[in-house]
Amino acid sequence: MSTFKSLVFKRFNSNLKKTALHDLHVSLGGTMVPYAGYSMPVLYKGQTHIESHNWTRTNAGLFDVSHMLQSKLSGPHSIKFLQHVTPTDFNALPVGHGTLSVLLNPEGGVVDDTIVTKENQDNEFYIVTNAGCAKRDTEFLRGELQNNPALDCQWKIIEGRSLLALQGPKAKDVLEPLLEKTAKGKTLKELFFGQRDEFALKDGTLVQIARGGYTGEDGFEISVPDEKAVEFAEQLLANPVMKAIGLAARDSLRMEAGMCLYGHELDETITPVEAGLNWVISKSRRNLTNEKDRFNGYAKIMDQLNNKTYNRIRVAFKYLKKGPAARNGVKIFLPDAQTEVGLVTSGSASPSLNNINVGQGYVEKGHHKRGTELLVQVRNKFYPIELAKMPLVPTHYYKN
Amino acid sequence: MLRTTRLWTTRMPAVGRLFLRNNSSNALNKNKLPFLYSSQGPQAVRYTAQHEWIAVHQDKIAFVGITKYATDALGDATYVELPDVGTQIAQSESLGSIESVKSASEIYQPADGTVQEINTHLEENPGVVNEDPMGDGWLVKMKLDDNVNMEQVEGLMSLEQYEKTLVHDD
Repeated sequence: MSTFKSLVFKRFNSNLKKTALHDLHVSLGGTMVPYAGYSMPVLYKGQTHIESHNWTRTNAGLFDVSHMLQSKLSGPHSIKFLQHVTPTDFNALPVGHGTLSVLLNPEGGVVDDTIVTKENQDNEFYIVTNAGCAKRDTEFLRGELQNNPALDCQWKIIEGRSLLALQGPKAKDVLEPLLEKTAKGKTLKELFFGQRDEFALKDGTLVQIARGGYTGEDGFEISVPDEKAVEFAEQLLANPVMKAIGLAARDSLRMEAGMCLYGHELDETITPVEAGLNWVISKSRRNLTNEKDRFNGYAKIMDQLNNKTYNRIRVAFKYLKKGPAARNGVKIFLPDAQTEVGLVTSGSASPSLNNINVGQGYVEKGHHKRGTELLVQVRNKFYPIELAKMPLVPTHYYKN
Repeated sequence: MLRTTRLWTTRMPAVGRLFLRNNSSNALNKNKLPFLYSSQGPQAVRYTAQHEWIAVHQDKIAFVGITKYATDALGDATYVELPDVGTQIAQSESLGSIESVKSASEIYQPADGTVQEINTHLEENPGVVNEDPMGDGWLVKMKLDDNVNMEQVEGLMSLEQYEKTLVHDD
């Protein structure tokens, strides 16, 4: 038996960075693997991948996402800058709200996907981007700032803060008792999906809590000082409904939720229209007569949006029968098993759907409609799939 | 991959280690078909470096599966892909694959032979590969080619030799 993807990971590599929770992961029996330059837990002792996945869907999971890049944009022209590199309307975004968006290169390709939150009225924004893209994002944002010297704003990486994600229907029950009300008397019950606010832990430590996440469940992403991260994580894990969950389940959970993973569903050759992310292109930013107001790749993206000039589009699929999973790089064919019409970008068994195989990929326009039956080719055999609605598993966001 | 297993075995004193081998979870399950197929039991049970096992009976019928060590490393099996009955498969060629949510692992033929039966029970119950990899989780029943002499097949190991490779499996 040998693995297609390396099953046996190199365990210790001195070049790998460690998060503040690294030693806690090890003490919890985490299998540590290199991920985006960090040593990260893929699975913890005493749980299988499927158990971790199902636990998160029914109880609560703690994920260390400190490897993700937290940064801050500030200055009088920060909105202008954001609207140059993303297609989203940040004037319209209320204070304390965050939104998914994409950083665009001049050709309209996605440099990274990101959550951007408006922190206050003073044009300060909190930005979370992917760990794997940290180097490219930094180079890209600094480059764009240099190319637009008239824009008065600063972009800074936030150091010294861990990021913990709590996901699952019981996440709120675990978190709530550990918090004081906000300065304005706000409780967790009044923090809705997409919102972010500052709360104090019982010892007075200030943490910023955003409601949302990557699994489709209700949950939170909490920015906490590194020196408090272990203690806070241990308090969360002291509740028996909370378990530490690794990268393996994070991937299967996000796939069921229809979320993109950069490097799979997104890269610099893919536009947000092709990625099925039209909603990040705000309505108010689709008809900009003044060149200066336009975002990177505007002409191409608007042409794709208005005239459907794209050739491929992101889809989700389910297998119609059992079979080996169609993973990244597997070809998609018409039912004639001759005509290639697309490529799979992610795929695996879906623990929440009785382990039927699901996945995401790109198919040619015209064959992308929900319900279309196609074939995937795995090791010279063809397996029938049906294109399905995203998310594949219902989401449970806490919306007001 | 299995750091816990390895640390544990390396820390065992010599006597303990022998004991471990005799009771090894990578030993064939004596209460299940791969062992019970013939009344005298298999003539030989051998292992590959890729973690397959093969149990050969007197009439050259052999059962093939993957070891406990391998299924632990793989995690929950979600699908087992097996060859068609009647397929001739040479040593080192692909025999099929086992999928977990995270990865797919190819299984290789330990010795030349023809597929006589596949474990169809695994189609609906792939988890049996995790529960009893050395017994009910057998994958394929083979008729070995006439010229195959188990003692001369290259690359096959005894249980003791196999488990030594796990201790040094970095």
